[in-house]
Amino acid sequence: MVLRIEIDATRCMGSGNCSFWAPGTFDLDDDGLAFVKDLAGDPEDKIILSGQGCPTQAIAIWRDDERIV
Amino acid sequence: MTSTSQPIAHWDPMEQFAADPRSVRDPHPELARRRREQPVAPRAAWGAAGEVQGYELYRFEDCAAVLRDNETFSSESIRAGMSAVMGPYPLVGMDEPEHRRLRSLVAQAFRHKTLAHFEDDLVVPVVDEMVDEFADRGNAELVRELTYRYPVQVIAVILGLPRDDYEQFHHWASAIISVAARPMEAIRSSSELKQYLVGVLDDRRSHPRDDLVSDLVAADLDGERLGDEEIFSFLRLLLPAGAETTYRATGNLLFGLLNDPVQLDAVRTDRSLLTQAVEEAIRWEPPLLITSRVAVHDAEIAGTEIPAGAQVIPNIGSANRDETRWDHAEEFDLQREAKPVISFGVGPHMCLGMHLARMEMRAAVNRLVDRCPNLRLDPAADDAHIHGETFRSPTQLPVLFDVAA
Repeated sequence: MVLRIEIDATRCMGSGNCSFWAPGTFDLDDDGLAFVKDLAGDPEDKIILSGQGCPTQAIAIWRDDERIV
Repeated sequence: MTSTSQPIAHWDPMEQFAADPRSVRDPHPELARRRREQPVAPRAAWGAAGEVQGYELYRFEDCAAVLRDNETFSSESIRAGMSAVMGPYPLVGMDEPEHRRLRSLVAQAFRHKTLAHFEDDLVVPVVDEMVDEFADRGNAELVRELTYRYPVQVIAVILGLPRDDYEQFHHWASAIISVAARPMEAIRSSSELKQYLVGVLDDRRSHPRDDLVSDLVAADLDGERLGDEEIFSFLRLLLPAGAETTYRATGNLLFGLLNDPVQLDAVRTDRSLLTQAVEEAIRWEPPLLITSRVAVHDAEIAGTEIPAGAQVIPNIGSANRDETRWDHAEEFDLQREAKPVISFGVGPHMCLGMHLARMEMRAAVNRLVDRCPNLRLDPAADDAHIHGETFRSPTQLPVLFDVAA
């Protein structure tokens, strides 16, 4: 089951924390803000860690209809 | 150069340990007790206007919540304490919206280069040059001969300073880092360093190069640019923020590994473990244990009323050993399940240099292990230990290793 991930660009500060924990899933764009490059680029636990570790809580993650981060 | 130049050896990084006779060797047992018995503890604190009511926090969730909530908990009081040495715009002591504007601009300069370029072209050569000085000796004292020195030199290289100026830069950096032990020397050195940086900035404005100062000059967000004073504050902040923390954290990582030959062997055999070894080292012994915020209005933390104006002091060193988040939290165990720590802070002020710091730590240990076969703690080491209550790092790291014939 692939997760659904949303990044709130108004909250993102471009720390790069998400791409540290899940480099296959997240990257920073030219403006330094995070984006999802591959919804299944890392094991699920790493993607969830990225969401939980986001310093500004800009990442929301859903499994099916349940929000898990 | 100014005539105040003195040899680096004049500065003993260890004098800070002697400077405070009340200095605590190991605060962790007491921190564990407070996590259990008094997780939000009233204490005296010092703000810009003198003594204020303070509350120190010991549990992970409480510390993280305060650091994330920058609308309730302001960083401005840090600015008041730092501006004598850092100038008027220290990023760590600013609130929104000023903070976000400045951070976005300097972040642009910081990510201009890839970290891989920094590692191969800047950091590894700096480490190698320092290892060259002891590689044929079979022994070294790694705090004085490597960990204390290399992050400052990495900053000098990233700034693009001329090689002939490194020694003077080290001198200023050491004085600024030793601000608690020798405040007047730190303020004087900071002022001299600023005068020096005025010349560097002028030069890069007319002759841009491939270095951080040029990138700061060029940083542009929809027409917003960095002012000169903002650049000078940022460049000086790099010393405590980027050099001191990295030197201490590298020492703590090496201490953890050298005191557990099984884990050191694991890293020696599989260098990919270094990434998690770095995360574990900064969890187990973060270089800086406490930070502070001021409540801008009445608030509540874990059932304790926090009045407006009170200082709130998250103890990161305690939060990182919270038993409710980590098993056998007191042990250095690089195989433990990965979980985010707050050693780099969390929230809008989370460390701008965290990826650089991790890479510097990895690169230093990687090159040491490569170049010093059978690296081990000298069994004759006289009470080498991690020391301190606010900042923590090893007092010494005497090592032995085999010398290639």
